[in-house]
Amino acid sequence: MRSTSPNVVVRQRDSALENFSDPPMLVLASLAEGPKHGHAMIDDIAGLCGTHLGPGTLYGAIARLEQQGLIEPLAAEDRRRPYRITAEGSRVLRARLTTLHKFSKAGLKRLEAL
Amino acid sequence: MRAGVAKLLVRLYPRYWRDRYGEEFEALLQTRAGNLRTSANVIWSALRERVSPTPGLNQGRRSVQLHSWCMRAPWAVFGLGPLLFLAVAYFVACFILWSGWRMFLPQSNTPFIPVGGYAVFYFEAGKLLYYAAPILVGWAVVLVCARQNPKAVWPGVGLVLIALVGGTTQVHAYRAAGGPEHVSLGFALGSFLHGIPGGASHALMILSLTMLPFVVWRFQKDLASR
Repeated sequence: MRSTSPNVVVRQRDSALENFSDPPMLVLASLAEGPKHGHAMIDDIAGLCGTHLGPGTLYGAIARLEQQGLIEPLAAEDRRRPYRITAEGSRVLRARLTTLHKFSKAGLKRLEAL
Repeated sequence: MRAGVAKLLVRLYPRYWRDRYGEEFEALLQTRAGNLRTSANVIWSALRERVSPTPGLNQGRRSVQLHSWCMRAPWAVFGLGPLLFLAVAYFVACFILWSGWRMFLPQSNTPFIPVGGYAVFYFEAGKLLYYAAPILVGWAVVLVCARQNPKAVWPGVGLVLIALVGGTTQVHAYRAAGGPEHVSLGFALGSFLHGIPGGASHALMILSLTMLPFVVWRFQKDLASR
């Protein structure tokens, strides 16, 4: 039977925690920098937080965000279609990130008190 | 990823989705590495889109006819229809048993004896159809239910009926001395109601297996809406 060393387990756990996995939020955060097409979004998100979104997951998030009016498509460039964040999308992203910021500040404060 | 594989993967998505995103998605797939992980991700996402379509994207394009039937005659879509499909599957399974008996065991008085060679595959195909039919029909009911979102009563009745029929059906095969082979189906409902554990546990197993995808789908939907 294969055994897993404690170091490997810790690395895997840390890696899982580092990978923020809320695809719609990741797409919004990526588009906050400017319009991008799918390929650029995947690379940007990987650089931003280490999460490698699969193409199916990415387009699932894009379809839902577009239907909710949080992103919008631009004119296609050689079969690739860029998307940009809408004003409503920016508002939703800002609200979500503010909540996360408050949450992380409170959590870190509690950890410091330990 | 190769253009042919990308095209094939895109075709897994529903038509309304392909009409909107197909070309750009295919272009994206062609720029990504064609590994197993990417393919699995696309297959899973396509399956999710088919079971739980993006809200708003397929509006006015989903199967209007089926939706109309689900609203007007849910008893037919979720009760009678699945039972008819089950009956057809059982008929085919019985035909396989009967024809296999004639072909491979012409001297035997029963087809339920150990066989060898190609006969094993033939009889096993019939057996597989017989045991898998209620589960597959139940999954079809769950799929229609997930896509059309009807009231839960009729799909529930349909699933229980399928489980009852699947759990109580018995195959009888006999041959009168020197006569032709007879294969028939019977329902052991009377003994089932008196608590025969075999039939009850079989029906419960079918019900659990058919309900499982529905429970997973609801769980996923609840998670996604949080």
